[in-house]
Amino acid sequence: MALHRSRARAVAWRLAGHLARGFVMILVVTTISFLIIRNVPGNPLAARYEKLVEQGMAPDAAARAVEVLYGFMPQGSLWDQYVGYMSGLARFDLGESLMVPGSPVSDVLLSATKWTVLPVLAGTLLSFLVGVVMGVYAAIKRSGVLGDMLAISGSLLHGVPQYVLALLLGAIFTTLIPILPAGGTADILYEPGFDAAYIGSLIEHATLPVLTYALAGYGGWILAMKSSVVTVLGDDFILAAELRGMKRSIIFRYVARNAILPLFTILALSLGLLFGGSIFIERIFNYPGLGLMLIDSINNRDYALMGGAFLLITVAIIVANIVADLLYTVIDPRVRGEGETA
Amino acid sequence: MSVTVVPAAGASATVRRNFWRGVWRVMRRKPSRMVGAAIVAGFALMGIFGPLLYPDPLPRDTQALYAPPSWRHPFGTDFEGTDVLALVVTGARYVLLTAAVTAVITVVLGTAIGLFSGFKRGRWDSVLMRLTDMKLTIPGLPLLLVLSTIWKFTGAIEMGLVLGLLGWGGVARAVRSQTLSLRERGFIEAARGLGLSTGHIVGRELLPSMAPYIAMNTLIAVTGAVYAQVGLFFLGVLPFEANNWGVMLNLAVFGGGALTTTAALPYLLAPLLAILLLTLGIVLVVDAMDEIFNPRLREE
Amino acid sequence: MAAEQSSEQSSDRSSAPGVRIRGLSVVYRTGAGELPAVSGIDLDLPPGTITGVVGESGSGKSTLALSLLNAVQPPGRIAAGSVEIDGLGDVAALHGDGLRRARGRHIGYVFQAAQNSLNPLKTVGGQLLDLGRSHGMGRSHGPDDLRGLVREARGLLDRMGLDGARVLDSYQHELSGGMRQRVGIMLALVLNARVVVLDEPTTALDMITQATILRIIREVHEERGLTTLVITHDLGVVAEVADNLAVMYGGRLVEQGPTGEVLGDPRHPYTRGLLAAIPRLAGDIGEARALPGRPPTLDSVPADGCVFRERCALRMEVCETGRVPVVSWGSRTAVCHAVQGAREDVKQTVTAGTVTAGTAIADMGEEQA
Repeated sequence: MALHRSRARAVAWRLAGHLARGFVMILVVTTISFLIIRNVPGNPLAARYEKLVEQGMAPDAAARAVEVLYGFMPQGSLWDQYVGYMSGLARFDLGESLMVPGSPVSDVLLSATKWTVLPVLAGTLLSFLVGVVMGVYAAIKRSGVLGDMLAISGSLLHGVPQYVLALLLGAIFTTLIPILPAGGTADILYEPGFDAAYIGSLIEHATLPVLTYALAGYGGWILAMKSSVVTVLGDDFILAAELRGMKRSIIFRYVARNAILPLFTILALSLGLLFGGSIFIERIFNYPGLGLMLIDSINNRDYALMGGAFLLITVAIIVANIVADLLYTVIDPRVRGEGETA
Repeated sequence: MSVTVVPAAGASATVRRNFWRGVWRVMRRKPSRMVGAAIVAGFALMGIFGPLLYPDPLPRDTQALYAPPSWRHPFGTDFEGTDVLALVVTGARYVLLTAAVTAVITVVLGTAIGLFSGFKRGRWDSVLMRLTDMKLTIPGLPLLLVLSTIWKFTGAIEMGLVLGLLGWGGVARAVRSQTLSLRERGFIEAARGLGLSTGHIVGRELLPSMAPYIAMNTLIAVTGAVYAQVGLFFLGVLPFEANNWGVMLNLAVFGGGALTTTAALPYLLAPLLAILLLTLGIVLVVDAMDEIFNPRLREE
Repeated sequence: MAAEQSSEQSSDRSSAPGVRIRGLSVVYRTGAGELPAVSGIDLDLPPGTITGVVGESGSGKSTLALSLLNAVQPPGRIAAGSVEIDGLGDVAALHGDGLRRARGRHIGYVFQAAQNSLNPLKTVGGQLLDLGRSHGMGRSHGPDDLRGLVREARGLLDRMGLDGARVLDSYQHELSGGMRQRVGIMLALVLNARVVVLDEPTTALDMITQATILRIIREVHEERGLTTLVITHDLGVVAEVADNLAVMYGGRLVEQGPTGEVLGDPRHPYTRGLLAAIPRLAGDIGEARALPGRPPTLDSVPADGCVFRERCALRMEVCETGRVPVVSWGSRTAVCHAVQGAREDVKQTVTAGTVTAGTAIADMGEEQA
């Protein structure tokens, strides 16, 4: 009983610390996006305001319209603008999008999120499963030619930037052997809905993005798993299990479980990081997720949307950090037991 | 555990000689590593001397737009009839200059901050590490994109400056942990006990023992800078002011439609090939370095 | 010590297996070819006794310990010799599943306490069940086996002064060094192994815990009728628990015999040096004399002649080359030219013992008076 309570307390403390740190991070990031929106050359707020006044709008009404758009008044001191922007954020009011006129930024972002999250999730899990299995193999065969090739191919895939992989895959499967669509989420022929044709088209269009995520991640997993397995194989308790006459299959389970543990943390982290990394893949395959939204908002000078997308991508990473740590607390008894004495 | 001894001048010279012998042994054991070193050296030469091989501006063959590969144009021509190979070779300088500037800033800042943090420990350490954490948490590419709206960092040197200022976190962290581990082994205390000055400890004892480690991180920083810079130009958020690989990629994909028609394909593949080759070279060199510093990975 | 061994344990003792190591050599493959870590070891572990093997680090004592389970880790391998265990046969000839089953069932191995010999992600009980399943106990054919195993384990832990049920429910990180060591002993004995190898069982433990563990080793040894091998660098440990003592240097046995006799009257210059290096509580620290020089490493062990000659005060010309004579008298043996010379001068100083468990080696048997 006491054991459980102290365990819960340890977890709660960690969570509190993380939340506090996450809050500070979000404060920093929002301040950055506020300063950027405010200092963008050509001052979009003032320009918009003047344009509206020119079009015959009353100055008051024009100022309010601009505030709706960007989240703060075009006039006023830096501090007033900052407070206005932040209090808007606190109400999840990110302003209004220019690109999608009349839509709140939060709605635009929400609709883009699913196009990022699903392919990222699918690609990452795929690469994790394959990479971990191959990593074990590369560790066991590390002095052989095959193990060497696995490790080198892993380093190469891990080293190459995502856009190179995406472009190569695109060049192969949409230009040289055109069997996959070059962009979009589904053929416009099909009505969105729960029918086979539409879902088939969705899958077809998602294949290249998912494949790129998977290939990009695979190298990292195989390398991480290999080095983790090599480390665990050198641990004393593996030799001890062998000397106690444990079955190979059981020892293999010991190695695998101990080796994969640190990878779960990286998994959670990488899911967060991929939100930011999705920019290239979404741009190349014209896939309307958060990354493409960020690029488009920059190219269209839609600064409210840009700030929102940036914020969302950062928050994803902060949340992933917290999840990763809590995950570790749950699956590793050593961390779980922290704070209690033997 | 035996007593830690700070090597005297003669001893450390031997250590260094042994180190180079170790490097040679590791390189020789796998010929692929030699290839890696050759590739990296080749790119460095290309960056320095490449633009001298071609006239400026590059000649255009208006009769052959998007020409297919041929003897005259091994990778074909672009939309203006310029030889793609020439574009790749001359574009290397911009890319590698940025990478060099980034690497210098990353290493100098990262090493200085990491050393300071690990050496002083205490409050300064935790403040600096919080800062590093924060920098590592904010996603680099989105931040660069957002920054590009207010700051048009287009020159190669300016670009390197931005990437370097954003990129020192990893090196700082690595150097700090190295410093701490040397400290844990009693290295610093022993040197202090011998009456050596802080400058001597840092300059003559700590840095040499970390130099290879820093070198490895530098190489990784170089690749990171190349990717980031090419990527930014590829995305088209920065104005094109000089020929480089990223601009080529952008024009090939979004101008030439390389992902739908085959005409611009060589134009797309040439810079990709250059990036892949550079990555391969650096991966092979880092692999060799890894084995030199991580005896545990040595396959025996 | 012999007086303490009461007759009531004699039945147990007779059933304890004996171990005979003959001509054992272990080599390690290195860049410079195969180097011997252990060469030509002859050693008997008489049934029901505790034998201590003492040596500095690098003397090959841990390699010897692993050889008893045929578990020398690559790049090392047993190059020659045999390890005969009563009721099991030559361990060095075993391989595959037969070898695996012998480990744990016939021979138990206890790690140094500081080494983490437990899977950090599983409770002690969970690993106990894995151990049982590895040795043919399972859900399908006899859940009683496993239940019995847990009962046995709890009994052993309770016997060693722990709360067995609680320990089985704990993870490694929740146990102190002394508790881990007792768990290690439990796991080595729970399958009823009668030959037990303890590698540095008390290193890295505090003095009180050391004393407790040594007492436990002695008591459990008596109660279960074991044949025990203790590897240590600490002569104090050997003096405390071992019936017989073997001294290793540079991969060879240089002296062996009943503990009391060897410690009271050391003959080999290395054994003497070791004893002289121990500071006495009631003596002047200046009286303790460290052995000059360093023990040899794998690549600096002389291939020919006496391995100890570099550090030996009695070094002679004959020590440089050739085989060093094995001198035996009573139940004692020493491998040294100087000892041979001394024994030929004064043959009457024989301390022929009444101890039945002798470790005489036939080599120089005719020398005995």
